[in-house]
Amino acid sequence: MIARERTPLAALAGITLRWSATYGALALLGALFVLPLGWMLSVSLQDAQGVFAQPFRWIPAHPRWENFAVALGAIPFGRYFVNTAVITGCVLLLTLFSCSLVAFGFSRIRFRGRNLLFAVCLATMMLPGQVTMIPLYIAYARLGWVDTYLPLIVPAAFGSPFYIFLLRQFFLTIPREYDEAALIDGAGRFRIYWSVILPLARPALATVALFCFIGTWNDFFGPLIYLNSPEKATVTLGLNMLKSQIIGSGSVQWHVLMAASLLVMVPNIVVFVIAQKQLVRGIQAGGLRG
Amino acid sequence: MTMALTVRTRRTIAGYLFVSPWIAGFLLLTAGPMIASVYVSGTAWTMLSPPVWVGASNYARLLTEDTLFTLSLRNTLYYVALAIPLGLAAALALALLLNSRVKGTALFRTLFFLPSITNLVAVSVLWLWILNPEYGLLNSLLRAAGISGPLWLQSEHWAKPALVLMSLWGVGGTMLVFLAALQGIPAELYEAAHLDGAGGVRSFFHITLPMISPALLFNLIVGVIGASQVFTQAYVMTGQAQPGSEGGPNNATLFMVLYLYRKAFQEFNMGYAAAIAWALFALILVATVIQMRLSRSWVYYEAGER
Amino acid sequence: MRPAHLVLLIGAIASAGCGGEDTRGGVEIEYNCPANALEIQTLQKETAEFAAESGIRIRLNPFSGQDKLYAMMAAGKAPDIFYTSSTMRDQLAAEGLLLDLRTVGRGDSLIGRLWPEAIDNGLSADSGWYSLGNWEFTCGVYYRKDIFREAGLAPPDTSWTWETMVADARALTVPPGPGGTGGRYGIFIASHFVETLELMNGARFPRESPVLSIPPESAEAYRRYIALISEGLMPDILRVQALGMQPAQLLDNGRVAMLVEAVPDQSLFDAVSKPWGVAPIPRFRGKPPSYFRSASGGLSISASTKHPREAWEALKWIVTRASTYQPTPVLRDVDFAGGWERRYTQLAGSGFREVWDLSTRYPGGDPRYFVRFSSWTSGLILGRLQPLLDQVWARTLSVDSLVAAVPAINRDVARELDEIARTRTLTPPFRRKIEQALREIHAPPI
Repeated sequence: MIARERTPLAALAGITLRWSATYGALALLGALFVLPLGWMLSVSLQDAQGVFAQPFRWIPAHPRWENFAVALGAIPFGRYFVNTAVITGCVLLLTLFSCSLVAFGFSRIRFRGRNLLFAVCLATMMLPGQVTMIPLYIAYARLGWVDTYLPLIVPAAFGSPFYIFLLRQFFLTIPREYDEAALIDGAGRFRIYWSVILPLARPALATVALFCFIGTWNDFFGPLIYLNSPEKATVTLGLNMLKSQIIGSGSVQWHVLMAASLLVMVPNIVVFVIAQKQLVRGIQAGGLRG
Repeated sequence: MTMALTVRTRRTIAGYLFVSPWIAGFLLLTAGPMIASVYVSGTAWTMLSPPVWVGASNYARLLTEDTLFTLSLRNTLYYVALAIPLGLAAALALALLLNSRVKGTALFRTLFFLPSITNLVAVSVLWLWILNPEYGLLNSLLRAAGISGPLWLQSEHWAKPALVLMSLWGVGGTMLVFLAALQGIPAELYEAAHLDGAGGVRSFFHITLPMISPALLFNLIVGVIGASQVFTQAYVMTGQAQPGSEGGPNNATLFMVLYLYRKAFQEFNMGYAAAIAWALFALILVATVIQMRLSRSWVYYEAGER
Repeated sequence: MRPAHLVLLIGAIASAGCGGEDTRGGVEIEYNCPANALEIQTLQKETAEFAAESGIRIRLNPFSGQDKLYAMMAAGKAPDIFYTSSTMRDQLAAEGLLLDLRTVGRGDSLIGRLWPEAIDNGLSADSGWYSLGNWEFTCGVYYRKDIFREAGLAPPDTSWTWETMVADARALTVPPGPGGTGGRYGIFIASHFVETLELMNGARFPRESPVLSIPPESAEAYRRYIALISEGLMPDILRVQALGMQPAQLLDNGRVAMLVEAVPDQSLFDAVSKPWGVAPIPRFRGKPPSYFRSASGGLSISASTKHPREAWEALKWIVTRASTYQPTPVLRDVDFAGGWERRYTQLAGSGFREVWDLSTRYPGGDPRYFVRFSSWTSGLILGRLQPLLDQVWARTLSVDSLVAAVPAINRDVARELDEIARTRTLTPPFRRKIEQALREIHAPPI
């Protein structure tokens, strides 16, 4: 078939049509995606009657900002925030250190069995955590680690396949000349790792740190099974407890519950806004190579 | 000769030293527990009493007598079969929209991606109220359009679709992978096709899809693995009700991991729970292997990457 | 920020988070209290006073689910005092996890002050006393006095019948407006109160039965209950759950005119501000009165507690002095009805006293499904029964089909009991009880 020629006017009309159709679709879908969050904010500013009002008033007459204070007070969220920060901080440090060490080994040193080990490392990504969960739980219970933070923090010291993979891919792109220059200067492998590669890998490390932060902060299953004492709970666990408390009470206060959920989402949103580009690049790097 | 061996040996030692944290972790936290888990799945163990060996009877009961297990398996498969195709299609559609060369797509990219990294428990609580049949957002919108919405989480037929709908809100991550793949397609291919007279639809099926097929495979495999392990939403939204009702209306949202959690931490039947975990692993393994095998026929790699 | 600084910062936060050492003197008793914000606030004040006078500090551990309790025991960190439901008690006692209260309570003046049921309900197969009930309730039909007056209906009295109640409900039901919202239902009975209807219809069940049985009186009660839904007098159970409101809220905003709920029910008294009255469950023609009296559990002391004496003192304090549950129904020398009328003035003249007195005079026990069965089989039976009941209430399964499913459930029960007998370590009295149950199942009485 021969290409049809189009007049300039028709071409312009075609472009405008496509442009407005695209924008129209984006606007509609964008609105749909944002709607739940907007509604959440609206409900969290209502009072007890406004939540159940028919029809629903999106902008309440008297927005009750104090709902957020009530939500914070209903459950010791301040304490949980500190708990979660402690856990996340420790996990972050350990993960960055161990994963970069291992990735360095897989990418910079040619040793016997390297490819096999790396393949095994990748394969473990496919393992559902539940298979190892039960014996691990039993072992932790025997050790007396249940109801402490140790089961949540210690595994980070051993590296995690996904981050190892990400870092290895990045390290592979660093030219070998840097290594060789350092070797000539008489540096040992560890010096090369610490002083040469790590500083160069800052973007990748930032990506790993971001994902690790988000993953640990939002973790639910781990704290759910390992933490029992209410004062040790994390923010995620605390929200679940608040939900059970509110829904089981005499009159269900959805506005307080929505306010609490919104508050719990805030750290995520803050991190996201600050580190958007990094996150996007990280996901795309991981996905393309997979 | 002797020098070369020493260098290689030194390199091997150095390599293993650097990789040792992962090796230690693999032995202590993965391989060891996996072997132990095989043993545990052959016992009846409540953790307070010593374990009692029952051989393969846990598995036998799982496969032949346990109707709740079969139900949880069906529920999980239903969820995966519904959520993954819809999720991939939605993510691809969004990525295609974002890939058009109009200004301001960065804002929308942010918008679409944000829900996927927020706290899943908070999202579950939010959707618990959104899905409320009388006062929730979803049914209010449907009512405005003249449709009388179902009972969603309270209905045994609509509970899983409700969870699938919720998962569509979180396709941001998948969308980003597609977006990166789309941006990697050279424009010349489209121009050449256009010169040959191919319209939008034909170039989609003959250029776009093949060029992004590696990303599609990645999203597919990762998606299936993740969806098979669905737990948090089901637990927070339906899993904390009266004893016997934790699986949602008529156990409609009793997924395999929820069932496992129930057996392990509510009934303290550790051995049985371990058996369920292995069944889940078998399911994922089989699904992944099938997908990898099938992928050879439809995934197109750039020359030399196979 | 240099890595070293980061490490120091994390370390500082970590050590702050680990908490300081407890350098105060005295004994600390850990108590798993209900996760009710209001109650916790009150308890915190009162436990401080208790600590001042007795030297025993009660540390509150708010608990919203029982599934963590066993996990804590397994990890060796059991709380000292915790609630055990009647279906958990036997299992825990059989594994030696509960302290026999006779060892710390023998000769205590409290024993003489308790109604016999408070002790009986806590006894297990080995005659050990493992839990002390701290709360009992009956149930009644709460009704909106103003709605009744508007409709020109006479308010219910203690001798009203099922037929009268249905007629009232019919008169009070208002269909929903355009758009499918609004309207009013005559009555709402939550599905876990259906068992009280079984009682009033004359059904009787053995306590802690290892197997499921649905006698004809129960089946008839179910049919009458479903008839309420079919006629539109009562909202669909799922629809009510789906409303996201508690039943008390429904009564308060007039969506229902009558509501079956616990008596007394503090959260209802707090939530309903419109004028209400309460009547006993209506009588079924030709059947003797038999009113529901809960017996679903009580407080127990862990066998591994380090301070049994102090735990017992704390337990006594919680039962007799913690103000949320005062006046308590377990003590003989307490004016229960009068005390509650003084706490909530709207109770006077509401019918509360009459409802309570009737339940004391004709107690029918606790027929609720999650209390009715033996500790060993309750979970299994409920797991199979609840989904079927859900279908019955949704009217997708007939009552006859439900009754027909009972033998299959009991076969599974027998199998499970068999496995328990084989694989669990149990003290002899409990083993004997399970074996006896197995014998009864396999060779039912003539």
